[in-house]
Amino acid sequence: MMEEHSITQQIQAKEKLAFDDQRSVSSLESLAGVTLDVGRMLMEAGASAGSVQRIVDKVALGLGAERVELRIGYGSLAVTVGIGAADITRMRRAGELGVNQRLIQGLWDLGKRVTRRELTIAQTRVELTRLASEMPQHSPWVVSIAVGVACAAFGRLLGVDWYGTGPVFLSATVGQFVRRELLRSHVNVFICAALVSFLCSVMSGLGARWVGSNTIITTMISSILLLVPGVPAVNAQSDILEGHPTLGSARAVTVAMALIFIAAGLWIGKISLDLWL
Amino acid sequence: MDWKNIAGPVVMNVELASVLHQTACGAIAAAGFGVLFNVGFRVLPWCAASGAVALAVRSCCLGLGWNLEGASFAAALTVSAAVQLVRRRAGISQDVLDAVGCIPMIPGSFAAKAIIGLFALTTGAVVNESQTLITAVQYTLRVMFTTGAIGTGLAIPTLLLRARTDH
Repeated sequence: MMEEHSITQQIQAKEKLAFDDQRSVSSLESLAGVTLDVGRMLMEAGASAGSVQRIVDKVALGLGAERVELRIGYGSLAVTVGIGAADITRMRRAGELGVNQRLIQGLWDLGKRVTRRELTIAQTRVELTRLASEMPQHSPWVVSIAVGVACAAFGRLLGVDWYGTGPVFLSATVGQFVRRELLRSHVNVFICAALVSFLCSVMSGLGARWVGSNTIITTMISSILLLVPGVPAVNAQSDILEGHPTLGSARAVTVAMALIFIAAGLWIGKISLDLWL
Repeated sequence: MDWKNIAGPVVMNVELASVLHQTACGAIAAAGFGVLFNVGFRVLPWCAASGAVALAVRSCCLGLGWNLEGASFAAALTVSAAVQLVRRRAGISQDVLDAVGCIPMIPGSFAAKAIIGLFALTTGAVVNESQTLITAVQYTLRVMFTTGAIGTGLAIPTLLLRARTDH
């Protein structure tokens, strides 16, 4: 009788453990999902690997994880989160990498709230969905004009004369608008860079010649500077310095490829202008 | 040693008008690229300020006779340190803000010239091959060293601050 009672107790204990494991795996599943989404959104918004690591650690620990291990790749992220004896590893693909400071700011603020234990996993998921869908964007025309002004200022820094700043402004404004439309049509990012580089260099070269600028080549170069991937170039270095050489190298190779396509567009533009004029 | 005479001609090379011009252009370029990077209007003045500081420091260092790489390093280091000081008070994330400030210093024109020089070498009608090659290699090296200097300058204050908070 005593033996039977002991066996029943053992079975009950095993069932309880299995139930607890199932419950912890289920909560770990949603925890890993939220954590990966934070990391993915940060990567896509142009954060450096160090920042992604710090914010993901904050979010995972703030949501109750006892252990967090994150692997950040160029095209994917993998996370292992653990509570008690249970661990779970999940992976997620990262989309196209861009730069979105407001999204980084939003995720940074969210990380702080989670650290203060203000949000549960479900509430964090709702906040993430809100950030992804309701993040305000500048209008395309505002962005295009701002880029035009920025390239004109760049031109002055590079030594473009005052006559040349008008063509730089106009061609960079048009170039940014065309780039946006091409990327919206899912044209390959490198092909897009070469096409926009060609367009901007031809437009600015013709414009500079028409207004009588003495700095035609510098004008052409200034008009394509909107395409230079500055943030990824800086991130590549900081990633390597912060102990993420694989991601840093991948970013550096992507930057080098982008520069080759940009220069190809400029070169073809220059040759075309030399042939026409 | 007469320190006054040593400092005299060096300081003369830093022209105020030129520094102001570079500073203003740096601020405009940084703010413009801030809009492209979807920086909110509240943070845009900070972007302009970081660009202005970067170009002011770089222009001063160039005026003092530093090379471009050294001047870019000093400017990036200053911007990154300033962002570290300001960001907590202003509640702004560090990502992008310091990078946007240094965007006007990225040697994009050197990179374009370097690659075009290398393209030119592959065509049949190269006039002065060795000179074209040397110029292209010089531009390539300048791009590598300047970008390296900017990246390192930006990273050092962050790494130092993290080492301090970790221990």
